[in-house]
Amino acid sequence: MAEVRLEGVTKRFGATVAVADLTLPVGDGEFVVLLGPTGAGKSTTLRLVAGLERADAGRVLIGGRDVTRAPPVERDVAFVFQQFALYPHLSVYDNLAFPLRAPARRTPADVVDRKVREVAALLRIESKLANRATQLSGGQMQRVAIGRALVRSPAVYLMDEPLSSLDAKLRAELRLELQRIQRDLGATILYVTHDQTEAMTMATRIGVMDRGRLVQLGTPRQIYEDPDDTYVATRLGQPAINLLPARLFEGTPMPRGTATVGARTEHLRITRATKGHAAGRVRWIEHLGDQNHLHIDVGAHKIVTLAEPDAGIDVGDPVDLALVGALWFDAAGARIRAGA
Amino acid sequence: MPRTLNTLAERAAAATPQAVARRVRGLSDRAVAWAFISPTIVLLLAINIFPLVWTIWLSFTNYRANRPNAPVRWIGGDWYTDILTNPDIWVAMQVTARFVIASIAIQTVLGFTLAWLIDRRFRGHGVWTTVILLPMMLSPAVVGNFWTFLYQPQIGLFNYMVSFVTGVPPSSFQMLGDVTLSPWAIVIVDTWMWTPYVMLICVAGLRSIPEHIYEAAEIDRASAWRRFWSITLPMALPFIMLAVLFRGIENFKMFDMVNLLTGGGPGSTTEVASITLKREAFEKWRTGYSSAFAIILFVTVFGLANIYVKALNRVKQR
Repeated sequence: MAEVRLEGVTKRFGATVAVADLTLPVGDGEFVVLLGPTGAGKSTTLRLVAGLERADAGRVLIGGRDVTRAPPVERDVAFVFQQFALYPHLSVYDNLAFPLRAPARRTPADVVDRKVREVAALLRIESKLANRATQLSGGQMQRVAIGRALVRSPAVYLMDEPLSSLDAKLRAELRLELQRIQRDLGATILYVTHDQTEAMTMATRIGVMDRGRLVQLGTPRQIYEDPDDTYVATRLGQPAINLLPARLFEGTPMPRGTATVGARTEHLRITRATKGHAAGRVRWIEHLGDQNHLHIDVGAHKIVTLAEPDAGIDVGDPVDLALVGALWFDAAGARIRAGA
Repeated sequence: MPRTLNTLAERAAAATPQAVARRVRGLSDRAVAWAFISPTIVLLLAINIFPLVWTIWLSFTNYRANRPNAPVRWIGGDWYTDILTNPDIWVAMQVTARFVIASIAIQTVLGFTLAWLIDRRFRGHGVWTTVILLPMMLSPAVVGNFWTFLYQPQIGLFNYMVSFVTGVPPSSFQMLGDVTLSPWAIVIVDTWMWTPYVMLICVAGLRSIPEHIYEAAEIDRASAWRRFWSITLPMALPFIMLAVLFRGIENFKMFDMVNLLTGGGPGSTTEVASITLKREAFEKWRTGYSSAFAIILFVTVFGLANIYVKALNRVKQR
């Protein structure tokens, strides 16, 4: 296991800047998740660490060694692809054994066999070892892809949205499994996803990316509770944070220069308006069993928040809103951290 | 909607002009469908099916096309036993087999190599692909004709190029008249003309390999040679086998190039099965005999192709 550092890395594809001056330290044994929408530059960053792309500027260091100019073979990294990238003409056993048989300095056959069976047992695919790589379900194929990375014990694991092609149930299972493996092995993992649940539950730190730039780097707690701007605030939270103009909450004390108020569910207190003029009206309720999503119209603005199913609020009800410890943003979207 | 197709057809028929409507009205959709495909079926029957059936019948008779009025007698399987025990026929089959194996081997290696180079996608590879494809676009008659000129010992380019490279005097050897060189003359022309075909199929095979498989292998520290051997070749193999199948069937039947270049000569050194067939049928006019031989060839190709396709399907299962 080793630490990874990207220092001022830039990568251009023609006229498009995919990664702009990115500095990202990943500590030994850390699980860092790069979070962002499509086109944010997450996959490109991962490929730069792997050596599948060459950086135009900056340095990439793995275990303290400058590998910016080195090809993948010299970097001692393992990559789990989104499309699995299993060798279709080989069996599961041969797929897992390939990284050990491929290099010039071959591993002895009995060591190969032992490692393959260890990893297969760890990922619970021993019964499928004889199958062709294509004769598997999606979840099993992804386990083989992860296994192919594990079998090598590399310095760092790179995972490019490995769970995005799987259904929700499988994703939940493999999320737990990946966390367990990371804990047991103490592995350094750089993980790319656009799914906030994966980011929140698995990461020791999250790096939020936007159009090639690393916007904020912090623990999931920090990103959630203490975002640097509105973009980062909208990355985490289910339902997404409500961004409303400050003038809707004229009575509430807020720092000078606040233009936008960010209110998550925990910052909003919804009460049924019993008398007089109400702030908003419930337009729609989505029933999710354990909780309800309330869609509230406040003037021309829409709020989505959670409520208990037995809160006694129905569609069409007038409601009052109260803010409790919301987030304040200025006109440019940057966070104002001074006390109200 | 409770409307049947017949009603729709009838309504459409009612909307057509009077003269046509009178003919079309009442025709069910099925009848119209048959009306559309019957010309093709008639053509297929006349040109493919009927001659096949007729040939099978002829192969059991002593019919000779140059004596149409002679009495036709049923002789059963006499021709078949005759052919299968005739040593000349076996020589012809051996010549055919040697020719097929040699030309397929060379074309496959060359075709795949060219395909691999084209797949590197260097600048201008599109232009080069078109240039390489040109020989395949020419008519075999034209190709046979001008290669005869190329093979002329005194004035032909081929001998000149060989002597330029090896220093052997150009008039010292003769591609088309020599017993050992004539088969190779045909192999060379066939390779020149059909390697692009193999190349095209192999390019399709190489393009079907996703890029991220190669990236995964790179990460797994496989060398370029290892990637080629463990990934490129096995994954392109079904396509290569397909190309071999097509070329194999074609070359087994090959007639035009051999006839144009050597006519089967000198003597019988390039007499492939199709040339023997032509000689028996249209020089010696032994129609019944050649019909039997044609059927034997047909069954041979069919049988071999069947075995091969089963093997191909097993390879494709991966």
